[in-house]
Amino acid sequence: MDLIKSLFISASGLKAQNNRMQVIAENIANADSTGRTPDEEPYRRKIPTFKSHFDKEIGAEMVEMGRIAEDQTDFVERYEPGHPAANEQGFVRRPNVSTLVETVDMRQAQRSYEANLNVIQATRRMVQRTIDILRA
Amino acid sequence: MSTPTIASNAYQMAARLAQATAGTEDLNPNRDSPNFGQMVQNVVETVVDKGRDADQKSIGLVEGKTDVVDVVTAISETELALETMVTVRDRVISAYEEIMRMPI
Repeated sequence: MDLIKSLFISASGLKAQNNRMQVIAENIANADSTGRTPDEEPYRRKIPTFKSHFDKEIGAEMVEMGRIAEDQTDFVERYEPGHPAANEQGFVRRPNVSTLVETVDMRQAQRSYEANLNVIQATRRMVQRTIDILRA
Repeated sequence: MSTPTIASNAYQMAARLAQATAGTEDLNPNRDSPNFGQMVQNVVETVVDKGRDADQKSIGLVEGKTDVVDVVTAISETELALETMVTVRDRVISAYEEIMRMPI
Protein backbone atom coordinates (compact mmCIF):
# COMPACT_ATOMS: atom_id res chain seq x y z
CA MET A 1 0.00 0.00 0.00
CA ASP A 2 1.31 3.42 -0.92
CA LEU A 3 0.49 5.00 2.41
CA ILE A 4 2.35 2.32 4.31
CA LYS A 5 5.20 2.77 1.82
CA SER A 6 5.53 6.42 2.75
CA LEU A 7 5.75 5.26 6.36
CA PHE A 8 8.85 3.25 5.46
CA ILE A 9 10.34 6.04 3.35
CA SER A 10 10.00 8.47 6.26
CA ALA A 11 11.48 5.82 8.53
CA SER A 12 14.57 5.75 6.30
CA GLY A 13 14.75 9.55 6.72
CA LEU A 14 14.59 9.12 10.49
CA LYS A 15 17.41 6.58 10.39
CA ALA A 16 19.56 8.83 8.21
CA GLN A 17 19.10 11.72 10.63
CA ASN A 18 19.89 9.35 13.51
CA ASN A 19 23.22 8.52 11.90
CA ARG A 20 23.85 12.19 11.25
CA MET A 21 23.28 12.95 14.94
CA GLN A 22 25.81 10.27 15.77
CA VAL A 23 28.44 11.99 13.62
CA ILE A 24 27.61 15.39 15.13
CA ALA A 25 27.84 13.93 18.62
CA GLU A 26 31.27 12.53 17.75
CA ASN A 27 32.40 15.93 16.50
CA ILE A 28 31.16 17.78 19.58
CA ALA A 29 32.53 15.18 21.98
CA ASN A 30 35.92 15.26 20.31
CA ALA A 31 36.10 19.06 20.02
CA ASP A 32 39.01 19.06 22.50
CA SER A 33 40.74 15.83 21.46
CA THR A 34 44.27 16.87 20.67
CA GLY A 35 47.02 14.39 19.99
CA ARG A 36 49.24 13.15 22.81
CA THR A 37 52.50 14.07 21.08
CA PRO A 38 53.33 17.01 18.79
CA ASP A 39 53.43 14.64 15.79
CA GLU A 40 50.09 13.04 16.46
CA GLU A 41 47.17 14.60 14.57
CA PRO A 42 44.26 15.92 16.60
CA TYR A 43 40.69 14.81 15.89
CA ARG A 44 39.57 15.66 12.36
CA ARG A 45 35.98 16.83 11.97
CA LYS A 46 33.69 14.33 10.22
CA ILE A 47 31.09 15.38 7.67
CA PRO A 48 28.04 13.15 7.15
CA THR A 49 26.76 12.76 3.58
CA PHE A 50 23.42 11.44 2.40
CA LYS A 51 22.48 9.62 -0.76
CA SER A 52 19.26 8.29 -2.16
CA HIS A 53 18.99 4.66 -3.11
CA PHE A 54 16.19 2.71 -4.71
CA ASP A 55 14.77 0.07 -2.42
CA LYS A 56 13.43 -2.80 -4.53
CA GLU A 57 11.34 -4.28 -1.73
CA ILE A 58 9.49 -1.04 -1.04
CA GLY A 59 9.76 0.22 -4.62
CA ALA A 60 10.71 3.78 -3.76
CA GLU A 61 13.69 6.06 -3.36
CA MET A 62 14.93 5.85 0.21
CA VAL A 63 17.58 7.96 1.84
CA GLU A 64 20.61 6.49 3.48
CA MET A 65 23.84 7.64 4.98
CA GLY A 66 26.60 7.90 2.40
CA ARG A 67 30.32 7.99 3.05
CA ILE A 68 31.48 9.89 6.11
CA ALA A 69 33.94 12.45 4.73
CA GLU A 70 36.68 14.12 6.73
CA ASP A 71 36.95 17.88 6.91
CA GLN A 72 40.24 18.79 5.21
CA THR A 73 40.47 22.33 6.59
CA ASP A 74 43.52 23.21 8.68
CA PHE A 75 43.72 22.55 12.38
CA VAL A 76 43.50 25.47 14.74
CA GLU A 77 46.73 26.26 16.60
CA ARG A 78 46.76 27.56 20.14
CA TYR A 79 49.67 28.73 22.25
CA GLU A 80 49.92 26.37 25.20
CA PRO A 81 53.57 25.57 25.95
CA GLY A 82 52.90 23.26 28.90
CA HIS A 83 50.72 20.90 26.84
CA PRO A 84 52.29 17.50 26.03
CA ALA A 85 51.30 17.94 22.37
CA ALA A 86 52.88 21.39 22.05
CA ASN A 87 55.59 21.81 19.39
CA GLU A 88 58.91 23.67 19.87
CA GLN A 89 57.21 27.06 19.47
CA GLY A 90 54.67 26.10 22.14
CA PHE A 91 51.69 25.72 19.82
CA VAL A 92 49.18 22.89 20.14
CA ARG A 93 47.19 21.76 17.10
CA ARG A 94 43.54 21.49 18.04
CA PRO A 95 40.67 19.76 16.17
CA ASN A 96 39.09 21.69 13.29
CA VAL A 97 35.70 21.41 14.98
CA SER A 98 33.68 24.55 15.51
CA THR A 99 31.08 23.98 18.21
CA LEU A 100 28.93 26.71 16.71
CA VAL A 101 28.79 24.98 13.31
CA GLU A 102 28.06 21.66 15.00
CA THR A 103 25.24 23.20 17.02
CA VAL A 104 23.65 24.59 13.86
CA ASP A 105 24.03 21.19 12.14
CA MET A 106 22.46 19.54 15.15
CA ARG A 107 19.51 21.89 15.01
CA GLN A 108 19.11 21.11 11.32
CA ALA A 109 19.17 17.35 11.98
CA GLN A 110 16.59 17.88 14.68
CA ARG A 111 14.28 19.77 12.33
CA SER A 112 14.68 17.22 9.54
CA TYR A 113 13.84 14.48 12.01
CA GLU A 114 10.74 16.34 13.08
CA ALA A 115 9.70 16.84 9.43
CA ASN A 116 9.92 13.09 8.86
CA LEU A 117 7.99 12.44 12.08
CA ASN A 118 5.27 14.77 10.86
CA VAL A 119 5.03 12.85 7.57
CA ILE A 120 4.64 9.61 9.54
CA GLN A 121 1.93 11.11 11.72
CA ALA A 122 0.04 12.52 8.73
CA THR A 123 0.29 9.17 6.95
CA ARG A 124 -1.05 7.29 9.95
CA ARG A 125 -3.92 9.74 10.23
CA MET A 126 -4.74 9.29 6.54
CA VAL A 127 -4.82 5.49 6.83
CA GLN A 128 -6.87 5.66 9.99
CA ARG A 129 -9.38 8.07 8.47
CA THR A 130 -9.72 5.78 5.47
CA ILE A 131 -10.48 2.81 7.70
CA ASP A 132 -12.95 4.98 9.58
CA ILE A 133 -15.11 5.14 6.44
CA LEU A 134 -16.09 1.52 7.13
CA ARG A 135 -17.21 2.28 10.66
CA ALA A 136 -20.00 4.73 11.30
CA MET B 1 2.38 -3.25 3.78
CA SER B 2 -0.60 -5.26 2.60
CA THR B 3 -3.28 -3.52 4.63
CA PRO B 4 -5.33 -2.43 1.60
CA THR B 5 -4.77 -5.79 -0.04
CA ILE B 6 -6.14 -7.49 3.04
CA ALA B 7 -9.11 -5.18 3.01
CA SER B 8 -9.83 -5.53 -0.70
CA ASN B 9 -9.37 -9.31 -0.54
CA ALA B 10 -11.74 -9.41 2.37
CA TYR B 11 -14.27 -7.43 0.39
CA GLN B 12 -13.97 -9.58 -2.70
CA MET B 13 -14.30 -12.68 -0.59
CA ALA B 14 -17.31 -11.27 1.19
CA ALA B 15 -18.89 -10.28 -2.12
CA ARG B 16 -18.33 -13.73 -3.61
CA LEU B 17 -19.63 -15.28 -0.41
CA ALA B 18 -22.76 -13.21 -0.66
CA GLN B 19 -23.19 -14.26 -4.29
CA ALA B 20 -22.65 -17.89 -3.46
CA THR B 21 -25.19 -17.92 -0.68
CA ALA B 22 -27.65 -15.92 -2.74
CA GLY B 23 -28.20 -18.93 -5.02
CA THR B 24 -29.81 -22.20 -4.07
CA GLU B 25 -28.49 -23.58 -0.85
CA ASP B 26 -25.55 -25.84 -1.42
CA LEU B 27 -24.80 -28.23 1.38
CA ASN B 28 -21.69 -29.64 -0.25
CA PRO B 29 -18.77 -28.38 1.86
CA ASN B 30 -16.25 -29.02 -0.94
CA ARG B 31 -17.56 -26.38 -3.29
CA ASP B 32 -14.82 -23.94 -4.26
CA SER B 33 -16.65 -20.80 -3.25
CA PRO B 34 -14.63 -18.99 -0.60
CA ASN B 35 -15.36 -19.66 2.99
CA PHE B 36 -15.80 -16.79 5.41
CA GLY B 37 -14.06 -18.68 8.17
CA GLN B 38 -11.14 -19.38 5.85
CA MET B 39 -10.92 -15.71 4.92
CA VAL B 40 -10.92 -14.56 8.54
CA GLN B 41 -8.32 -17.18 9.32
CA ASN B 42 -6.06 -15.98 6.49
CA VAL B 43 -6.33 -12.37 7.55
CA VAL B 44 -5.79 -13.19 11.21
CA GLU B 45 -2.71 -15.21 10.28
CA THR B 46 -1.28 -12.27 8.35
CA VAL B 47 -1.90 -9.93 11.27
CA VAL B 48 -0.45 -12.42 13.74
CA ASP B 49 2.66 -12.76 11.55
CA LYS B 50 3.08 -9.00 11.51
CA GLY B 51 2.56 -8.96 15.28
CA ARG B 52 5.27 -11.58 15.74
CA ASP B 53 7.63 -9.49 13.64
CA ALA B 54 6.84 -6.43 15.78
CA ASP B 55 7.42 -8.51 18.94
CA GLN B 56 10.77 -9.71 17.64
CA LYS B 57 11.78 -6.14 16.93
CA SER B 58 10.67 -5.00 20.41
CA ILE B 59 12.78 -7.74 21.97
CA GLY B 60 15.66 -6.64 19.75
CA LEU B 61 15.21 -3.10 21.01
CA VAL B 62 15.46 -4.21 24.64
CA GLU B 63 18.58 -6.20 23.76
CA GLY B 64 19.98 -3.17 22.00
CA LYS B 65 20.08 -4.81 18.56
CA THR B 66 17.24 -2.99 16.78
CA ASP B 67 16.60 0.62 16.04
CA VAL B 68 13.67 2.43 17.70
CA VAL B 69 12.51 3.53 14.25
CA ASP B 70 12.22 -0.10 13.08
CA VAL B 71 10.18 -1.03 16.14
CA VAL B 72 7.84 1.92 15.73
CA THR B 73 7.23 1.26 12.02
CA ALA B 74 6.69 -2.47 12.62
CA ILE B 75 4.20 -1.77 15.41
CA SER B 76 2.43 0.88 13.31
CA GLU B 77 2.13 -1.56 10.43
CA THR B 78 0.69 -4.24 12.71
CA GLU B 79 -1.67 -1.78 14.32
CA LEU B 80 -3.04 -0.55 11.00
CA ALA B 81 -3.39 -4.10 9.65
CA LEU B 82 -5.19 -5.18 12.82
CA GLU B 83 -7.47 -2.18 12.70
CA THR B 84 -8.38 -2.90 9.07
CA MET B 85 -9.03 -6.54 9.89
CA VAL B 86 -11.21 -5.72 12.89
CA THR B 87 -13.18 -3.11 10.96
CA VAL B 88 -13.84 -5.45 8.02
CA ARG B 89 -14.85 -8.23 10.42
CA ASP B 90 -17.27 -5.93 12.25
CA ARG B 91 -18.69 -4.84 8.94
CA VAL B 92 -19.24 -8.41 7.70
CA ILE B 93 -20.81 -9.44 11.00
CA SER B 94 -23.16 -6.47 10.95
CA ALA B 95 -24.15 -7.44 7.38
CA TYR B 96 -24.82 -10.99 8.61
CA GLU B 97 -26.93 -9.69 11.48
CA GLU B 98 -28.84 -7.51 9.07
CA ILE B 99 -29.64 -10.57 6.98
CA MET B 100 -30.69 -12.57 10.05
CA ARG B 101 -33.07 -9.82 11.11
CA MET B 102 -34.79 -9.91 7.72
CA PRO B 103 -38.44 -10.96 8.13
CA ILE B 104 -39.34 -13.99 6.08
